[in-house]
Amino acid sequence: MKRLGRTLAIVALFLFFAAVLSTKIHSGPRPQEQTSAANLQITFNRDIAPILFRYCATCHRPGEAGPFPLLTYSDAKSHAGQIAFVTRSRFMPPWLPEPGEFKLADELRLSEEQIKLIAKWVRQGAVEGAASDLPPKPEFVEGWQIGKPDLIVKAEQPYRLPASGTDQYWNFIFRTPVNRTRWLKAIEIRPGDKRVVHHANVLVDRTESARAQESSPGAGFAGMEIKIESEAFDPDSHFLFWKPGTIPYTEPDGLALRLDAQTDLVLNIHLQPSGKPESIQPSLGLYFTDHPATLFPMLLQLENDRKLDIPPGEKDFIVTDEFTLPVDVQVLAIYPHAHYLAKDMQAFATFPDGTKKSLIHIAKWDLNWQAVYRYDSPVELPAGTVISMRYSYDNSADNVRNPNNPPKRVVGGNRSSDEMAHLWLQILPHTVPGEASDPRRLLQEAMARHNVDKNPADFEAHYNLAAMLQVRGAAAEAMQQYEMALRIRPEDPAANNAFGGTIISSGHPEAAVQYLRTALRTRPDYFDAHYNLGIALAMQEHFKEAVEEFRAAVRINPRDANAEANLGTALAEIGNLREAQAHLEKALAIDPNLALAHDNLEELKRQSPGEKP
Amino acid sequence: MLFSIFFLPLAVGQRASDLSGISVDPLKQSPGRIVVLVFVRTDCPLSNRYAPLIQELSVKYARESSFWLVFPDNSKSPEEIRGYLQEYGYKLAALRDPERVLVKKSGVKVTPEVAVFNAKHELVYHGRIDNLYEDFGRSRRAATTHELADAIEAASKGVPPLVASADGVGCFISDLQ
Repeated sequence: MKRLGRTLAIVALFLFFAAVLSTKIHSGPRPQEQTSAANLQITFNRDIAPILFRYCATCHRPGEAGPFPLLTYSDAKSHAGQIAFVTRSRFMPPWLPEPGEFKLADELRLSEEQIKLIAKWVRQGAVEGAASDLPPKPEFVEGWQIGKPDLIVKAEQPYRLPASGTDQYWNFIFRTPVNRTRWLKAIEIRPGDKRVVHHANVLVDRTESARAQESSPGAGFAGMEIKIESEAFDPDSHFLFWKPGTIPYTEPDGLALRLDAQTDLVLNIHLQPSGKPESIQPSLGLYFTDHPATLFPMLLQLENDRKLDIPPGEKDFIVTDEFTLPVDVQVLAIYPHAHYLAKDMQAFATFPDGTKKSLIHIAKWDLNWQAVYRYDSPVELPAGTVISMRYSYDNSADNVRNPNNPPKRVVGGNRSSDEMAHLWLQILPHTVPGEASDPRRLLQEAMARHNVDKNPADFEAHYNLAAMLQVRGAAAEAMQQYEMALRIRPEDPAANNAFGGTIISSGHPEAAVQYLRTALRTRPDYFDAHYNLGIALAMQEHFKEAVEEFRAAVRINPRDANAEANLGTALAEIGNLREAQAHLEKALAIDPNLALAHDNLEELKRQSPGEKP
Repeated sequence: MLFSIFFLPLAVGQRASDLSGISVDPLKQSPGRIVVLVFVRTDCPLSNRYAPLIQELSVKYARESSFWLVFPDNSKSPEEIRGYLQEYGYKLAALRDPERVLVKKSGVKVTPEVAVFNAKHELVYHGRIDNLYEDFGRSRRAATTHELADAIEAASKGVPPLVASADGVGCFISDLQ
């Protein structure tokens, strides 16, 4: 009885992000075309209401993010001058991108004519006009925006936002909302009081890795940017983003997001104190579909945080990154991200024929109004296209948002006083039927190589590339990359575990032991490392020691059928048949189809027909 | 012919009043003391965010000054204002100023802005509380100038403040009917 479980090292990839969508604005009545004769009397009912209903009322109505409603003449009149002022400065409606070559969905941008019209209305005394001119009030769906969700999950504990102080960033973990694999077509994020929540993101945590950051289960944790470990090849990604006025985006058939059991959803929200204490307890509405995904979008990230080392006083610090697409893709959505010092953010696509087109341009970055932008129709980029980003930062005292006064040196990092240079694109690679290689793997590997080239001293770059190579079966190159990673962080548990796992796979369990022990020294409750060490020891027929490792593994994760089966098998090897049978049966109770447990249980019964446990 | 003579209480409609409708002149109420008028409205997110600081300053300078919250919006009833005060934890006396008597006297334009009258009840400062906001949607992590506190401290020493006025960022009082 020598069969043991697969030596599958469960590797972890470091990604900052996982998932998303975008926004859909109710399209109310279109603003009327204006004949702008200089002396024409502008009225609320005829000229202004259509603009407010279309662009403002989505948020400026009771229960929504806008601080006051803009549904009636008297609502508008009591803020008229302010409306003219903030539309002129383009603070409202909040829409950061400049008009560009590729049209963005749900654009919330007033035309110059509309802005002038509002200004003129105010100058003329903000007249109401004839009742017959007033268009019907926009109709809004109350409650859940796209119907009752199939499943509603609520944060276990509220977050208490203090009355005053700086912006806060908080993370709620929604534990394993499903007990089997489901396909999600939409998530509605209800962030709590919309007046204090600036934006929110849901990240899919397939390894329940964020839980480690909670002080107690359900407590949530602080942090502006969070890291989610994911499996080596798990690129299926959607933007799950909320900003004020968002209507959840329903994915078309085929683009559903996989949600497995033992997956957490982590909600990251940005809050601004309102002047009074607030209690925030968000909920998520999940909408399922029976149609599994047939198209697999992924998130591609350009970034260059390591180049962020901005001297105090520097007004125009430039950070760039560029990536050449190895395959044809469609770009579905784009999400530029930085913190408080960024001012101008641009992304381009340079086509193989040399044509350069802007993917997005934000000339006045404002963290508070960051958003995911979906293209009105997908942008086709052929293989060989270079995607580039160019961000500019102002670390002078003239930038009022500067977190430091007086300004000081700022580097890349996760805290709100650090900076970031990230550009995320949700892309859909073209899949050629019958083609053996998955284009997503080519993309991920190309991206990982790009990161290693860009940051040769970066642990995660080597680690991620190694993990990808390992999954592809390029063990020799994977081991090289793991070694590079371990040279940078010799004690890192994940890298030691993954390296150990790869060494086992290459047939040298004796060489793997030291790395797995290092992993366990730094992280004693590391399931994967106990499991892999158990395998390595069992392969060398050190069954007694192997039993101890498998025991530790099942103590940490009692739900893992492979660990139970291997524990049973190793126990059988040292003659502890009664206990062996119990664990093999437990493995089958968890996974009735587990061949290893089946076969070994049969074998066990054959060898000891007389024994009854 | 019978002339009926109404002795209209002149204050009504022409002077600020407290939440029970009694007309109040906050300067006359505080002879010889510094008076701070803080102009706010219930539906202005910028003035709401200042609530904790306004309350804190009123306590800090309670010895030398009297703080009054002034609501220039005549569409908000005393009940709505009472509810608002409770919601935001205000313990200050509140006045309604539907005719903008105090607004004019103070020269303020937006909420939140303040007016500081010295012990002789001369207007020595009007404008923003501090420079937290540079513009709508553009705020500092923390204010770097503190005009209201500086003005009160100057007035308590009997000297004029360094700045007599500084424009605030907020909701336009002129928009109110």
